[in-house]
Amino acid sequence: MEGAADSDTPVPERSAADRAAALARLLHRDCTRLLELYKEREDFLSQHAPGGERLVTLALCPEAPSTAEQVGHVRSALRRCMELLECLIVREVEEMGEELQGEYESLRKTVKDRLGHLLHSTGALLENGEGGCPPSPPMQCIQGQDEVEASDSFAAKIWTYKVLLELIHWTDSASQTLHVFHTEKHGQQQQQQLL
Amino acid sequence: MQGWVTLALLLSLGAKRSLAQNGLGEPRGLTLNPDLPAQTLSLAWQSDSTLFDLEIFHTEFMNVVLNATVEVQADPVTGLHSWTWHSPLPLECTSHSVRIRARNQQSVSQWSPLQTIPGWDIPEKSYMFPEDKMIPVGSNMTFCCIVNEKEDFKEIKYGRQEMKATRLSRRSYAITVTNQPASDNTGTNVICSSQKFQILTGTVVFVGYPPGDEGLVCETRDLASAECSWKKGRDTHLRIKHSQTNYTLNGRDCLEANERKTWCSSKMWEENWTLEARNPLGTVQLTDSAQLTDRVHLLAPVNVAAVKVEAWSATLQWSWSVAAYKKLEMVCQLRLFAHELSSTRNYDGPGLSSVVLEGLWPDVDYTVTLRCGSKHSFWKWGDESAPYRIHTKMDRPDALDVWMWMDSSNTGHVFWKPLSVRKSHGALDGYEVSQSSAEEDGRNTVSLPPGNFSYPIILNNSSDVTVAVAARNPAGLSQPSTVTTPAYRADSQLSVSELLGTNGSFVLSWEPNVSASSGYVVEWFPTGCTGHCPIDWKKLPESDRSFTVNSDSLVAGVRYTVSVYSLSTGAPTLLQRWQGYSQEMIPSQSVSELSLNQTGSDVLLSWKATEMKQQRGFIRGYTIYLASAAHLDLIANITDPAVQSYRVKGLTLSSYKFVVKAYTSAGEDAGATVAIKMEMDTADMLFVGILVPLGIMFCCIILFSIFFYKKREWVKKAFYPEIPGPKVSGDWSSPRGPLDVKPSPHSLVHIVKNPEWDFTKEGLFPVPEEEEESENDNMEVDTDSDEPALLRYYNQVVGDGSHSNQVSDSSASSTASMGSTQTEITYAGIQSPSSSQGAYSGGGYRPQMQSVTGPAEPQIEFEADFQDDGLNAGYKPQCSWQLDSPEAENFSGSLGSPTSVTSSQFLIPESSEEKPQPSNTWFHNFLSGKS
Repeated sequence: MEGAADSDTPVPERSAADRAAALARLLHRDCTRLLELYKEREDFLSQHAPGGERLVTLALCPEAPSTAEQVGHVRSALRRCMELLECLIVREVEEMGEELQGEYESLRKTVKDRLGHLLHSTGALLENGEGGCPPSPPMQCIQGQDEVEASDSFAAKIWTYKVLLELIHWTDSASQTLHVFHTEKHGQQQQQQLL
Repeated sequence: MQGWVTLALLLSLGAKRSLAQNGLGEPRGLTLNPDLPAQTLSLAWQSDSTLFDLEIFHTEFMNVVLNATVEVQADPVTGLHSWTWHSPLPLECTSHSVRIRARNQQSVSQWSPLQTIPGWDIPEKSYMFPEDKMIPVGSNMTFCCIVNEKEDFKEIKYGRQEMKATRLSRRSYAITVTNQPASDNTGTNVICSSQKFQILTGTVVFVGYPPGDEGLVCETRDLASAECSWKKGRDTHLRIKHSQTNYTLNGRDCLEANERKTWCSSKMWEENWTLEARNPLGTVQLTDSAQLTDRVHLLAPVNVAAVKVEAWSATLQWSWSVAAYKKLEMVCQLRLFAHELSSTRNYDGPGLSSVVLEGLWPDVDYTVTLRCGSKHSFWKWGDESAPYRIHTKMDRPDALDVWMWMDSSNTGHVFWKPLSVRKSHGALDGYEVSQSSAEEDGRNTVSLPPGNFSYPIILNNSSDVTVAVAARNPAGLSQPSTVTTPAYRADSQLSVSELLGTNGSFVLSWEPNVSASSGYVVEWFPTGCTGHCPIDWKKLPESDRSFTVNSDSLVAGVRYTVSVYSLSTGAPTLLQRWQGYSQEMIPSQSVSELSLNQTGSDVLLSWKATEMKQQRGFIRGYTIYLASAAHLDLIANITDPAVQSYRVKGLTLSSYKFVVKAYTSAGEDAGATVAIKMEMDTADMLFVGILVPLGIMFCCIILFSIFFYKKREWVKKAFYPEIPGPKVSGDWSSPRGPLDVKPSPHSLVHIVKNPEWDFTKEGLFPVPEEEEESENDNMEVDTDSDEPALLRYYNQVVGDGSHSNQVSDSSASSTASMGSTQTEITYAGIQSPSSSQGAYSGGGYRPQMQSVTGPAEPQIEFEADFQDDGLNAGYKPQCSWQLDSPEAENFSGSLGSPTSVTSSQFLIPESSEEKPQPSNTWFHNFLSGKS
């Protein structure tokens, strides 16, 4: 009987949240490493902190959202991060060509792929419509770059650094939010089983 | 004051008037036209003059950056004077002001009004100039940072290097970098930071090299188009896309070329080629020129295949992907790869597309590759075709090399050598051996598997047997090889010569033999080998007279029998035989059965030689050593190996170890050891063991007897001196006993309790009364007397050691004294021989009359006294101390004599003293000379 009861448990959903949280943690580590590699290339970033505004800010969601809404909120931010990362890759390939294939370039591609998976995973979690934020307006790749008061090449470097910071920030937020989301779901399922 | 002002105005007006009067008009219409990327400022003005003074300032601080006099002609069309100034500083860094005046030698016009181009330090933003410049390695450059109004400037860093900044204006700072090194992939960062270490602004400079490509070469692959390639030169260090090198070939863009691909193609062949490589830092041009036919680089042949494969040849065909090749006179190179059969062959012809490969070997796997080139004006080999595999067919094996070896008069083996790959022409299925004799009809044929290389032959009768052996493979049977049984010749029947190896080989030579119509055979095998012996042989043509058996087929240290046979139509005939070692070694085993046999003081060593297999060289002799603890002493070297015994003579009674070693030309073996302990014969033993000691003893007795007889007087004095009779001066007839001394009160012996004896003083020793009583019971002792107790004093020698002796020796006196009621004195003085010596030397108790002479008297005077004392009587009368006993104290001569229990003096029984006569024994008489 217990086995039958267990088989009725919606394990896949719980596992999906758990997997998404794990993927977000992994992605966070990747992004941190990607920034380290970028700092190795542009070592001035280790000594000086660029100022300026954040690239990804979301103010469209309610102030005290539910966890599901927070997941949706984070997902929107990640989607914006994805757009920024794609712009970054296009710009770097355009500038440097595809001849450079070091660890940075390899990890940059990995981050892009995993971020796509995370967006897909969180999208599947929110399929029932809970917590969805309104879609952001389409972004231009030059957004944020013109805010840096420097030469084009230097502004692009500062912008790249900021994009990587946003990636680190929002993947960390995603891992925490998804963990809470997973825990709440798990608790609800256990309560349902008890009832 | 007003007067001074008026004077100054007048002077000023006067000066102006003087200038105007010089005819030099002030330049008019000065215009400034900046080129910001080029950092140039173009000036244009109107004037009638051709010589001008120029001044350029940084406007805000009015720092003069240029003060020069230039000669500028007016443009004939426009009438304008133009002059361009290249600023070391980006013109955006700060505002620049310019003024100009005409000059004619020392006369100058008035300055034109200042014209200013504004810098970017006016708007409220941060900037850094120049932006993203590309410059050659080693350049000098000035960067400026325009700080935002609200920020505090801290520093400018070039890469990691902090630079010293100079202030251009209120908000503009500049650094100058000299001899800049090449940049990294993404350029060198120049950063302007605030006091809070925040980045205010920055720029990137790309420092690199102009293109360094070289070595342009153009060739054709299809006899129509061209492919040009070159070598990449020095790294430009310019990685960003718009700074990378672009190429044009004969003016046409070469889009396929980049940092890695250094080739470019052209659809048509042109005899002259120019490649231009350009990047933002420079351009390089490479040229090449050649006729098309001189630069033919053929493509690889395709569809290579073998259309006809035989055992010894194959026909190879291929085709060309370019139709124009069919008319080209070309040369092709075939490379054949096979195990030990690789070769390279060249073929030529117009449009070559097939060749016949001759000289192949049957049943061999070949891998063929093919490449071709233009025969005329050969440029280079074309691309190589893919490897193609050919396996040739099999063919019948070659004839075998056969030999027959007789190990007895009617038994032997026929041997044949295995066929190499080149000779077997295919995997062998086996061998066929057939034998025939003159007396028997027909042939007996036996098939043997491929692993057999010998076959036993038994001769049933005396006639020769001819054996034919053939190898068989799938292609057929080889030509049979025949051999006739040679006559058996044992070594004993021949004079076998000794053969010495030379560098591990045998060098043989023999006299020519007329019967050797078919040549000779040299045969060699390990001597003494039986059964399946490794027989080896070599067939030689009849012209040969010598042969060298190579060291490859010989083993060092093995004795070989080498024979030379002559071959003819009949049986082989033995011409000569040797035995020898290709290389001699030391014997692997020592001599065997080493034994020895003692004969008196001689020892006969005998041994047997080791077996031939262990000799590993001709035994040249034996060496015999006498082994001691550390080394071997050579005692004999027997150079005749037939001698296998040796007699060692004249050995004394001791243990010996002998080592016998056999030696070859390579050296000695380890040696065999035998040991012996030399023993005497029985008669010798009797003689030495009994008679000799007896004789010695007898001689000693005689010598002693003679000696003592000669020295009998001395001996008598030494051992048995005359004992003088007592000389009694008074009535001394009363029984002898201890002298009872009644000391007068004033002369009582002061008894010292200190048991230590002072050897330097004479002393008295009390003798217990009771003891004396017991011994002299006939003496009356007044025990009830009120007079002081009698003390008996015994003339003793007292020492402080050897108490135990004293206890036992003088127990009669000391123990008795302990129980005395009259004297509570315990005398534990112990007398010992050692202490006695000292006592005598120091002098013991002396009779009063003796005290006159004192201890200084010669000791010899006390000898008699000593001897008397040795008679064990207690106190002796004073008169008995006579000076006529001069030897009294000399008791050294008494050592070894019977001694009393109280001393080491001679102990002469009391009776003897009383009756000295019994001492007249035979020995005494002897000593006395009495019969």
